[in-house]
Amino acid sequence: MSSTLIETKNLVRRFKSGDEYIEVLRGVDICIKEGDTASIQGESGCGKSTLLNLMAGLDQADEGKIFWNSEEISRDSYPVLAIKRSSLIGMVFQSYYLVPEIRALENVILGGRISGNTDNLAERSRSLLERVGLGSRMSSLPSTLSGGERQRVAIARAMISDPKVLLADEPTGNLDEATGDSIMDMLQELCDEKQVSLILVTHSGKYAARMGRSWILRKGILEKKSAK
Amino acid sequence: MPWYLYIALRHLFPQGRRFPVFTLMSLTGVILGVATLIVVISVFNGFGYEIRSKISDTFGDIRVVNGGLLGNPDGLAEILETKGSVDTAIPYAQGIVMMLYENKPLAPIVEGIDVRSDREVRKYGNYLLDGSMDEFDDDSILVSSGLAGQLGLSVGDEVEMYTPLMMLKLLESDGSDVLLPRHVRIGGIFQTGWQRVDENTVISTLRLMQDLYNLGVGAHGIRIELKPGFETEEEGRKIAESLGRPYYAQTWMDANGDYLSIIKLEKRMMFFLLFIIVIVASFSIMSSLLTFVIRKTREIGLFAAMGATPRQLAACFCLQGMIIGVAGTLLGIGLGRTLLYFRDDITSTLSSLMSVSDSMNQIYGFAYLPARVQSGDLIVISLLSILIATLAGLVPAYKASKMNTVEALRSE
Repeated sequence: MSSTLIETKNLVRRFKSGDEYIEVLRGVDICIKEGDTASIQGESGCGKSTLLNLMAGLDQADEGKIFWNSEEISRDSYPVLAIKRSSLIGMVFQSYYLVPEIRALENVILGGRISGNTDNLAERSRSLLERVGLGSRMSSLPSTLSGGERQRVAIARAMISDPKVLLADEPTGNLDEATGDSIMDMLQELCDEKQVSLILVTHSGKYAARMGRSWILRKGILEKKSAK
Repeated sequence: MPWYLYIALRHLFPQGRRFPVFTLMSLTGVILGVATLIVVISVFNGFGYEIRSKISDTFGDIRVVNGGLLGNPDGLAEILETKGSVDTAIPYAQGIVMMLYENKPLAPIVEGIDVRSDREVRKYGNYLLDGSMDEFDDDSILVSSGLAGQLGLSVGDEVEMYTPLMMLKLLESDGSDVLLPRHVRIGGIFQTGWQRVDENTVISTLRLMQDLYNLGVGAHGIRIELKPGFETEEEGRKIAESLGRPYYAQTWMDANGDYLSIIKLEKRMMFFLLFIIVIVASFSIMSSLLTFVIRKTREIGLFAAMGATPRQLAACFCLQGMIIGVAGTLLGIGLGRTLLYFRDDITSTLSSLMSVSDSMNQIYGFAYLPARVQSGDLIVISLLSILIATLAGLVPAYKASKMNTVEALRSE
């Protein structure tokens, strides 16, 4: 039986707007197990990224509990969370967030260094970049790469720490359809190969349909969309 | 290499890109501050050293006195010369006379030196502006440049000398005696560069001074030159202890303590004043790093999302301050030492441009700009500069470590 990697129970998150509090998440329950693929869709500003940040331990819920590997992390301190996160979760963002001062290969190596997963790091980074189709662009600075290439570097960087879950926040949001398709193909193949669970936040129904489970976040409630 | 040190280095010195203006400006501030400090402090050291060597040259390392007259100075000098640390021990006599030249009177201090000592003769020979030590005998004197200037004396002129003893005799004789001055020739004019000596001093032979003060074979003290490597204060104490009362030893530092403490104080004041340059540079580092932290907000959020701890994030920016401090200090030391190496060329160019070529020689008695780089000063300047630059990185580092990851990732 596959074990639970991330679980949330009755998550509530409120934000202050003027004198009022807006409840963005109203008791969200989610459970991600090994090998799961899932998508979260919803309108802009509905709280998709907020949910992803809470699952990644980057933000704190106002109510509810979060579990990583069945351990509650809601009360863990920031440094403890940082260490736990680096071995469990990889993240990919819409805007890539590559370090502009260093080359593609070094951006990937940096991911390994920060997560503390430094065994055979240079070799693994090279092979990951080759795997994402950037074998010939390893020495390129981010400024000389296209959007698609930058996202490939960002995916390789997220995968270098051997995470068990990859949280992807609109990874194709800044790319044209063809490039987006190739990025999604590559992302899914990589997750399959490495047995990494994938949580995809997306506006695209096409990409959401590729996932094993699909949810829609509507008015702070996570609704099950369909099963593959 | 820890990742935060690697990122700190890459932020400051990125690959394949132009040298960032932020790095350049921050480095320049520290380089200029450190270089200026090193140049000024080393020149102060140089002046201090030159002045000290002139003082110890004219005063001797240690003077042994008994508060009165030494009856057998040669015997005492012989005893002192048996001590391992003593190079030479030479009797001297010292007092005030009234000197008259063309009806202009002055009352200089006269120091009678033992011309049997080649070292004494050679020493004053080095300071002669005019005349020769060959002309120096019991009927001639050497006058300091200040005294010669005040009385308008030249080598070969004759002056009259009256001692307090003569005045006393005249008083005791109820006016029945006639006061006959001692006529002496100017054998040379000297300048040591030590203002106290150059202002109002006459050098005579010990025999002349013994005649003038009616000392017989006595002297007022013994001037000791130590062998190299011996500590003056320590040896002075040992000599005083070995001779016992009523003898005591006065070092050149004791005798000129007030002046030496002014030199020290001036050096310290200059250090603190010039260190303000480094502090100003540190504010430039701090403001640049703060701007940089704001510019790198999303990157900081990303590092946090990848598992960086707040301490590592803080280290990343604090280390940037430290790297600027280390690099700026090393380059500043290089620039400072280069400026010191070419100091004579620089000062002569500046002097000729400003038409003040002889002023340094006239004021300080040096024909060159003295400088001595002391390793202790270099260590203090380096450590303080690196510390200040590192502290400048603390505020941005704290800001980075306290950044909300989600807000950082969302920032535009």
